[in-house]
Amino acid sequence: MTTLYINEEEITVSAGTSILEACRSHGVDVPYFCYHPELSVAANCRMCLVEVEGWNKPAASCCTPVAEGMKIHTQTEAIKKDRQMVMEYLLINHPLDCPVCDEGGDCRLQDYAVAHGASHSRYVEAKRAATNHDLGPFVTTYMTRCIHCTRCVRFADEVAGTGDMGILNRSDHMSIAGIVEEACESELSGNLADICPVGALLDKPSHDVSRPWEMTHHQSTCTQCPNGCDINIESRGDEVMRIKPVEGSPEPWLCDRGRYVYDAFRSDNRILEPEVRQDGELLQATWDEAFDRAGDLLRGKRVGIIFSPYWSAEGLASIRLMRDAVFPDAKVAFDLHRRDMRPFAFEEGFSMTTQQIEDVEHVVILGSDLRQRLPLLMQRLRKRGNMGKPVSRIGAMNYRTNMSISSDAIIRPRDWPAVIARAMQQVSDLGQTAAGMDTWLAAVPDRHEAGKVLADSLMGETCALLVGEEIRSHVDAAALIHGLDLLMRACGHAEEGNDGRNLIPEGMNAQLLASAFGDIRTSAGDLFASASAGELDALVLIGSDPVGDGLFPSAAKAALSKVPLIQIGAIAGEIGNSAEVQLPAAAYSEVDGTFINMEGRIRVARQPIRSIGQARPLWKVMMRLAQALGADVPAVDMTELRDRMAAFAPELADVWKDKATEEVLVPVARNRDAEALPARLDSSFDLDVVSRYSMYREGMWARASDLLLAAGKLHALNDVIMHPETLAAKGLKEGEHTVRTFLGEHSCHIGVREDVSPGVLFVAKRGVAGDLSDVTAASIVGGQS
Amino acid sequence: MSALEQPQFSEARKAEIARLVTRYPGAQSALLPVLHMAQEDFGYLSMETQKLVAETLGVRLMAVREVVTFYTMFREQPTGQYLLEVCTNAGCMLNGADELVAHMCDALGIKVGETTPDGMFTVTEVECAGACGGAPVVQVNNVYHEKATPASMDELIAKARSEGGAA
Repeated sequence: MTTLYINEEEITVSAGTSILEACRSHGVDVPYFCYHPELSVAANCRMCLVEVEGWNKPAASCCTPVAEGMKIHTQTEAIKKDRQMVMEYLLINHPLDCPVCDEGGDCRLQDYAVAHGASHSRYVEAKRAATNHDLGPFVTTYMTRCIHCTRCVRFADEVAGTGDMGILNRSDHMSIAGIVEEACESELSGNLADICPVGALLDKPSHDVSRPWEMTHHQSTCTQCPNGCDINIESRGDEVMRIKPVEGSPEPWLCDRGRYVYDAFRSDNRILEPEVRQDGELLQATWDEAFDRAGDLLRGKRVGIIFSPYWSAEGLASIRLMRDAVFPDAKVAFDLHRRDMRPFAFEEGFSMTTQQIEDVEHVVILGSDLRQRLPLLMQRLRKRGNMGKPVSRIGAMNYRTNMSISSDAIIRPRDWPAVIARAMQQVSDLGQTAAGMDTWLAAVPDRHEAGKVLADSLMGETCALLVGEEIRSHVDAAALIHGLDLLMRACGHAEEGNDGRNLIPEGMNAQLLASAFGDIRTSAGDLFASASAGELDALVLIGSDPVGDGLFPSAAKAALSKVPLIQIGAIAGEIGNSAEVQLPAAAYSEVDGTFINMEGRIRVARQPIRSIGQARPLWKVMMRLAQALGADVPAVDMTELRDRMAAFAPELADVWKDKATEEVLVPVARNRDAEALPARLDSSFDLDVVSRYSMYREGMWARASDLLLAAGKLHALNDVIMHPETLAAKGLKEGEHTVRTFLGEHSCHIGVREDVSPGVLFVAKRGVAGDLSDVTAASIVGGQS
Repeated sequence: MSALEQPQFSEARKAEIARLVTRYPGAQSALLPVLHMAQEDFGYLSMETQKLVAETLGVRLMAVREVVTFYTMFREQPTGQYLLEVCTNAGCMLNGADELVAHMCDALGIKVGETTPDGMFTVTEVECAGACGGAPVVQVNNVYHEKATPASMDELIAKARSEGGAA
């Protein structure tokens, strides 16, 4: 610790802290442009000058470390004059067009010009001209306003990992630029507008639409991925204009998916009124008419319920209460990516916080396109990479990550048992074992070399295992996860305080879903199969779109052609075309509710935006549905609902009482006795099918957002891709081919990529390729096999 | 080398670069000398050449672009066979560099920074060439011509033309 004096006041900070950070942490205001707490120090704006006693010139406080007994002054006459001169210099080429600039009113340059600048400029010469750049669909540029702080350049290097921004030329010609004719290729590009301290990089979608002072701010939780980032929703009236990250929250950034999904809040796809189908057409109705019709379709019937994990905890609890009150035999499904419903040794959710994952000795990613799935966790791993800490990966594709992976292997999904067995072998050869490991090992005849990557990363003191969708959606997932559990136990990574088992969940609230629905859940595929087989009379879909998302689109289509659909939710989507009744439920920006993220962190949103149309919070719709079906209403208000919810997650009760949400983490479900041995999978098809996840397309919200859809098209790969050698081995080339699966034959264009595992057919979830999501194996018709 | 051709370092160059890199703490530190080599090999630093350098050293293309655009001695456009760099800094300017530039441009029928249509000559102005004792100085490719006069330049141009471009 170092003791120093700032403006005569004695403070103590840890050694090596910069003067600026010491000032910031003690509430002393020092102006700055180029400094950013999450980026490296550049020290090029010179705005943060302070006076250090005994030094003959002012010090740039962002890059000067504190020293014992240092006496710092931030408000001397000399410093004020220095700041005025720095301001004058920075403003020389600035166009001073604040009245037409979007940043105006929320601009560091403007604020500091008022606080520290002179009232007029002495500069009369011509100002510099600059070229604007194309930085993708989310950032617009006004480079004349740039003050060359290089925050965006450091962001692209250090955070986005793309390194595609830089400073070209020098002196008066110096300019910030992207790589020629290439858009900023980052899933975090929206943050560029936030980090620009002036109006040079601006948010493109909200450009020229609103002014900062018109906004009302609502703190909420993003539900677009399991990471559940804190968000600040900015609205003008009832219309969401922007979504921004919350300063001081665990994630300083926001991904483009979470940020630009707001476009969906006001899309034409919103369900705003209750609607009832009459003569083949959905027509607006009153709530009473809609509930009457729903009652007719559902009363006394065998019903299957499918819902999305993205509702607030209150909404999810109300689904359970409604189901218990009126459909006590109904099965529910909420995970559209899980085929194996046996209990997993470690269920969905993280046993580590993302900060712990960043700090741990080794991280290994198993079968996940983490950059698309959890962009902000990927960003943390990138930060690890920058510090030289290892990240290994095994998967069906060398997914693009913008970082260098220390060791990786590509495999086919059918190789997973052999990969885990190879790792177990290595571990047990070193004398480490766990009860049951020998039996598991004996059940697998093959060994796959990729297992070395896994075993090597488990050798350290601590290791974070990130198990992704390729394993979670595997037909034999329980066995694989049991195998991984044994491996982690054998290596000492499954103990209290040192638990590295993390299973990336489908969505938010995974822990609550496991405790509240564990006894009645089933696979969505099975639900659709029973509906098609005439074992169900109706389907209730609550905010879920099994045709557009997940692994059962063909089964869902078949089921919906057999039984009537009651749709409850905020977005109609493609599936709305099949609905008999539509009931509007409020979007996540519009509810007072609780959200649990993959780490188990609890957030309570308390300042919702007013919902548009006639949308009501889901729990009210559920209670009203229970009433319409003749049951006693399980909970009449939020307090009662929350009291009933505490049965599912006792941690939540404390949170609502104390309002302390930072320390409480909801634990992940463990099934100690969930033992499953890998089954022999015999397939008459030679290719494994893996369905690809796109952050721009997955989920009803994303598909209702024109902004995200447009961005998704920019870097989209072919719908169906394979390794060129796999095709070549059959004597085939890139082009139109017929793919045979148990569903029949599909004709589609197959593209090739080198970074895909041989023997794998990668499919995107759209069009013909979307139908292939239902299958796990396929063959190509023609060529030699 | 035609512009369409993908530039490649020769095996000897690759070995030289590999040796060079070991003299620095990191590969990126070798960027300046490697760019000079690339310019010597390919005449100028096209975007393709810059990509080649970035790949060779394992640094980001943007880092290469930043260095190339910062230093005026790196050229992103092709030049004539004879690059005539006239120093117009104080010493040379006082000794008639401006008149010299005007004369050369007239004689060749081009403006400063341009190349003659036959691809033989490019005239540029440069900052101090460090040969003020022999001002005005004109650097022709890598050779200094001190105390240059319009007449000596005419002679040089005529000689170059008569040699038919064989430098």
